[in-house]
Amino acid sequence: MEEIRKEIATIEQSAKRLKELAREMPGISKNADIILTFTFLLKFITPVAK
Amino acid sequence: MKYWNPYTETMPQEQLDAIEFAYFKEYLAYAKTHSGMYKEKLKEVNVGDIKTIEDVRKIPFTYKDELRAQQEKEPQNFPYGALLGVDVAEVSAFRQTSGTTGKPVYVPESYESWQWRVESWCHILWMAGFRPRHRVFLPVGYNVYVAFWECHYACEKVGCEVVPGGALDTKGRVNKIIEIKANAMGCTPTYGLNIAEEAMKMGIDPKKMGIERMICAGEPLPEATRKKLEETYAAHVYDHIGGTEICGWAAMCEEQKGLHIIEPFFLIEILDRETLSKEVAEGEIGVVVITPLGRHSFPMVRFNTNDMVVKGKGGCACGRTSRKIMEVVGRADDLRKIRGVLFSPKTVEQFIREEFPEVVEFEIVVERKGIMDELTLRTELQPNIGKDKAEEIRARVKETAKVKTNLTMNVTLEPEGALPRYDLKARRFKDLRGKE
Repeated sequence: MEEIRKEIATIEQSAKRLKELAREMPGISKNADIILTFTFLLKFITPVAK
Repeated sequence: MKYWNPYTETMPQEQLDAIEFAYFKEYLAYAKTHSGMYKEKLKEVNVGDIKTIEDVRKIPFTYKDELRAQQEKEPQNFPYGALLGVDVAEVSAFRQTSGTTGKPVYVPESYESWQWRVESWCHILWMAGFRPRHRVFLPVGYNVYVAFWECHYACEKVGCEVVPGGALDTKGRVNKIIEIKANAMGCTPTYGLNIAEEAMKMGIDPKKMGIERMICAGEPLPEATRKKLEETYAAHVYDHIGGTEICGWAAMCEEQKGLHIIEPFFLIEILDRETLSKEVAEGEIGVVVITPLGRHSFPMVRFNTNDMVVKGKGGCACGRTSRKIMEVVGRADDLRKIRGVLFSPKTVEQFIREEFPEVVEFEIVVERKGIMDELTLRTELQPNIGKDKAEEIRARVKETAKVKTNLTMNVTLEPEGALPRYDLKARRFKDLRGKE
């Protein structure tokens, strides 16, 4: 699971960077938002067991 | 693959509890800062003070009635008012409750919150055996109601092919199922039976329609009705429970013995009916209080659903570790006192479906005549049943109703097509006493 979580974090960082780069481009920015929705979900369903 | 998310579905219960508790605290903090209703309602609650589940129990419930009042506030957030948990510009879909118990509640879905509830529904479908090989027919106009939108999106997400079946009459839907060779279906239990009835009128045996799997939504599904649907279609039929305000939160697995709570999506409390202050023991009936732990556009903290369920044991032959409920008893507000006796309409549906296959539709009406409550069970029988046989069935229904409910009812035989048919939520119980 640790490796999966790392990969999710990488995707999240990339999507945030993409959004930043595409500030004036709604088509790209909105798609980056959608990736972020799914990184939120991925994090939600891969919680660290305590 | 047997599980949708094997990681959480086979996690030890104590780990799920810990995760849900941590999620709850984050969610509480979010609600307190983003929802007008909770800023006010929970201003005395300090998230840092919530250290155990007993501390959670001290947080006030949220009731449906207060949602109606809260949506009148904050006109800039029309029509959601103080219930909104995100900027109104982030809302991507409007839904609403059916209004069965009063004025509808308007429910805002942001893209993220919607996808969160779709993910929860993916568990429901996967447990019910829906797989990419299924072509799923949804014989419903979804309108502004949430259940079949959730089902539609979740079907797509789990890889099924989904066919929206709105804007057709029942006959058209029967034809469509056959035309496209749909092999799965999602519908209310009532409408599943109506489609079968229509097919039979058309000379089609529902068993030969090719439906192998069905998920029911929108109405309670008594076990007798579930079995009747299975026999009628020769299909596997599955139940789930949910609500517009709080999503689908528990569902049946292939063992078909009770419903699994979808963890860690929800903090579910099943509380003693009298005090609403302590969790009931396994096998006991309690009221369900729900916090959906990742839903930000419409924060709901400790929503008192009024649903009464029998709490089940953890663990299941399917291998899932989540907690279970064994039976949905009904809604606390569905129970009515009639001539001093507590009456649940579900009892009638149960014995009708179990013992009277000749009854195709029914309706229960309670009226006040003078100082007495009068209860009438209107029944519609299969066509072509002779007068003597119909009278014999009527007498047996009356006798069974007396035994099962402790109430004497008038039982009437209605002509074919006299009783309403429903494709969404059926309303078979009419309490007219307040209107006299």
